[in-house]
Order: sequence, then structure tokens, then C-alpha cells
Amino acid sequence: MFTGPLQALVDELGRLPGIGPKSAQRIAFHLLKVAPEDAMRLAEAIVDVKERITLCPRCFNVAEGDLCAICSDDRRDGTMLCVVEDPRDIVAVEKTQEFRGRYHVLHGALNPLEGVGPDQLRVKELLGRLDDEAITEIILCTNPNLEGEATAMYLARLLKPLGLSVTRIASGLPVGGDLEYADELTLGRALEGRREVDA
Amino acid sequence: MAISTLWLSDFRCFADAEFRPDPEGLTVLRGPNGAGKTSILEAVGWLATQRSIRGAARDVLVRSGTDRAVVRAETSVAGRAVLVESEIPVSGPARTQVNRQPVRRRSELADALNVTVFAPNDLDLVQGGPAGRREYLDDVLVARHARLDALVTEVDRILRQRAAVLRQAGGRPDSAIAATLDVWDERLGAAGTELAVERESLAAELTEPAGRAYERLAGVAQPVTLEYRRSWTGDLVAALGSARPDDVRRQVTSVGPHRDDLDLALGPRPTRTHASQGEQRCVALALRLASHELRRGDLAEAPVLLLDDVFSELDATRAAALVELLPPGQVLLTTAVDPPPVVHAGRVVTVEGGRLTGVPDAPGVSGATEVIAAPSGGGGS
Ligand SMILES: [Zn+2]
Repeated sequence: MFTGPLQALVDELGRLPGIGPKSAQRIAFHLLKVAPEDAMRLAEAIVDVKERITLCPRCFNVAEGDLCAICSDDRRDGTMLCVVEDPRDIVAVEKTQEFRGRYHVLHGALNPLEGVGPDQLRVKELLGRLDDEAITEIILCTNPNLEGEATAMYLARLLKPLGLSVTRIASGLPVGGDLEYADELTLGRALEGRREVDA
Repeated sequence: MAISTLWLSDFRCFADAEFRPDPEGLTVLRGPNGAGKTSILEAVGWLATQRSIRGAARDVLVRSGTDRAVVRAETSVAGRAVLVESEIPVSGPARTQVNRQPVRRRSELADALNVTVFAPNDLDLVQGGPAGRREYLDDVLVARHARLDALVTEVDRILRQRAAVLRQAGGRPDSAIAATLDVWDERLGAAGTELAVERESLAAELTEPAGRAYERLAGVAQPVTLEYRRSWTGDLVAALGSARPDDVRRQVTSVGPHRDDLDLALGPRPTRTHASQGEQRCVALALRLASHELRRGDLAEAPVLLLDDVFSELDATRAAALVELLPPGQVLLTTAVDPPPVVHAGRVVTVEGGRLTGVPDAPGVSGATEVIAAPSGGGGS
């Protein structure tokens, strides 16, 4: 145990993903040593992100202010919608410069073992958008692993009967992988080679 | 493929031990029961398959009073030295590395260390439930191709996901649950059928070498047949659909590759119910020899053979036949009794109370370092 505030910092750091007790201590002692302005910049960045960044009420991407940058951009093609698991996947797709439509973030994938069913994902909100917007094509860009594929299949079965064109990014992405880590070229090709899903 | 040196720290009863088997031929590990000789084979088996050859839980592999075991082996693969290491904590995942690179799939280990195990509980292959026979097939599939390794893992995960949905349904599925089940059934239909097809063709491939091995072990020519029996007929998705009302009520998945079996027969007779214990033992050994032969054909180099206490279970004739059937390559053999005269050990190591004696030039070994038996010719070197 360390003295009050130091232990509190170690505890808080230790609750972050991927940071074990040893790393938490190392980071805490590092922050103790750095110049006060460096530590304050980190503290401000954390406060800023919590105060100024919210989820876009339309697509659930991260947003500053009301709608996210993509939803409020009139030059985007409003007929195409790319469905992803995580806001980080938007960054990955954007890097390919292959997609000019808009997005919808599910915030996860079907994973009954972790208690994630359709109700825990932004599926109802996705269906709501189909009424409000002029969407004609949906591209399912969930991760190419078991849960991502199951989610894509679930959505395809839900959306196909509504008369939309539903496509899945082509295989060629490393199986079992994470969209976030796919390189631009591979992901770009996968988007280009997307195919209609049978449901 | 051969093990040059094996190091154990806090593994089973070994606080710290180093073991250098004969690099090309046969090493005999002698000692009374409970002395720790099987633990040496278990350590090698762990490195190759990430599982105990005795089916032991992971925490019992760690020496009591310590929180983690470490097993390391330097192997020689096509003349190249490869380092395989595994850290086994009492709880939490084990970490395994090949040449300091983390290993994520069992198939990645296949190039560094490959084993075939013969153990007294092999009789369970014939006498026991279907799980052991499915595992026998899957072990070969997993070691053969990374794709099949991924397939076996995927089927297992789909089954666990489906089980979670059935638990959530609590016997009364609404339409939302049904829609989710449809998706998992579809996945299981595809992956499960693919796995059944792979197991079927493997069973067919094993039939001929198993029959040959049986004939030489038992001294009589009798065809051994391996027939894979699916738990469903026709389309798996359709079968899952028909079984769903029952499955939902009982919260189980009643059809699929996890309910299949491998039927074994000796001539026209099913071995489980219509063979003597001696015949069953020979069939079990023949199955091991057959899969070993297949693996030898797949790989540039023969897997290391681990023979745990096989002589106590066999009469002298069959023991001699088994030794003569062993293909060339590194063999580690444990025995509590005198090995039959046909055994030509390149090295003999005595194991007692977590200590190894008879290991030449091993400064790290506690206890004496006297060579108990010198090479007596043969042994493949
Ligand atoms: Zn948005």
C-alpha cells in the first residue's frame, strides 16, 4: 500500500484494460516523476474526452457536439450504410478511402457467453434508421471471427426481407481477426469485393 | 524430431530437474510407481499438446506450495535447435513460446515438437465413452493442419455459444431467442458437417494401418474397422431444427459432431462388447500405431514416441511385438518392471522421489550422476 492519493492512482490505473498491478505501479511512479504540466495535460485530456465527446445519437460513432463528423457531412452518400462493431472500425474503413456512405456502430457482436444478445446491441436503432433515412444498401462490416460472422448473419436475416441490398465484406480478411488490425489494402479489397448475402 | 534436453521447474514432484534422453534411440525411465517417471512424459506431452497425457487438471501439474511450473525443451528439428517453453500457473492461462515467440494455436507447436503417446489408459479408447474416441481423431486433425485446428476450436465455441442461448431461453424461447438460435444452428451446421466429413475420411485412412498393426501385435490377421457414426442423418441444420423443441426444454444440443462416435470392430465383432481384454488392448495399441504412422507420413520427421508403462499391461510376446513394431526415432519409455530383453536402451535413467539419476554430464541434476546402463547396441543410433 502506498500513501493515500498515490494508492488511489495505482488503483484507478489498474482498472484500465490491459494494465496489470505491476504496470499500474510503474505508470503511477512515472507520473509522480514527470513535470507537473505533462501530468496536467493528461488529466485535462481525460476530462475533455468525458465532457466533450459523446456518442452520435444517429450512428453511435464518437461525436463532438451533436451529430458525429460523418453524419453531419452532406457529401456522404446517404443511401449506403456500413455496419461495424466498434467506432475504431470506422477509422479502419475510412483509411481505405473505398467507402463514401455512412456508418452504424453496434457496440459489440452477438456473444451469448458474455450475455450479449440483439438487445444489447444497437439493432433497434438500426431498424429505426431505415424508416427515417433513404438507405438502400447495407454493408455488414463486422469482424471476420465467429461472433462477427454470426452477427452479420443475424442482421442479414433481419434486413433482407425489408427489400434492401445487404452485402458482406468479402473473405480474404484473416479469419478470426479483428477489423481494427486489418491493413488498409486488405480491408479495401474486402470492401470492393463485397457480395450479396443469402439469408 | 527429437528432444535434446528437457528442463522442469516446480513441475509435479520435480523442483528442478534436467533430463537428456538419447537423441536418436530409446531412453528407458525406470522407477517404482509414483516416483515421477510418468511426469517426465507428461511434461513432454504438455509441451506438444498443451494437455496432460493423464488427463490431469492443470493445477496438479504445479508442484504443491509453488504457484507456477515451467517446462522447457530444446528440440532438434531437421538439424535445427528449437526452444519450446511453457509456463503453467496454478490459475490463469498457460503461456507457451516457440523460440521466444508466443504460440496461439496448438498446430503452431506441431513443427517444434510432436508426440505420439501410448499409455495404460489407452484401453479407454475401446472400453470408454465416445468422447475419448472423438478426441483421438481430433488430435490427429489438429496436429495435421492449422485449418483443422481452427475448425475444431470453432465447433467447440459455437456449441458453447448455443448452450448459452439455450440457458438464457430457460425452456421458453421467444421469437428473438429463436432468431438467435437460427444463426448458431446455421454456423454449427456448416462447421459441424465439415468436422464430421474430416473425421470420416480420417477414420477411413486409419483403417488399413490399424489392421496391419493389429495383425503384427496379436499374431492373427483380423481386419480392424473404424467407422465414424454421425449423431444425425441428412442435413445438420435440419436435424438441429427437428431437435429444437426438445433441446430447448432440456437445454442441450442433442445432435452434432460432439455427439458422434467412432465404431470399432474386430472382424465382424464390435470390440467394446465382443472382444477379450487382450484383444481390446491390442486394438487400442493398433490405433495408436496407426495414427503414429499417418503422422510420420505427414511430417518430414517422426514424432517423439512416449510409451508410458506399457509392459505391465502386455504379455511378453505382445510386448516384444510392440517394441519390434516401433518405427525408428526417439522413444521415451517408462517402466516399473524389467523391460523385455528385446528392448535395447540407448540410455537408462532411474527416477525416484523427484530425482533423476543416470543422466550423464548434467550438473543441474540433484543427486548422483552415475550412468546406470551404458548403451547396449541397437536403439537406432
Ligand atoms: Zn453519426
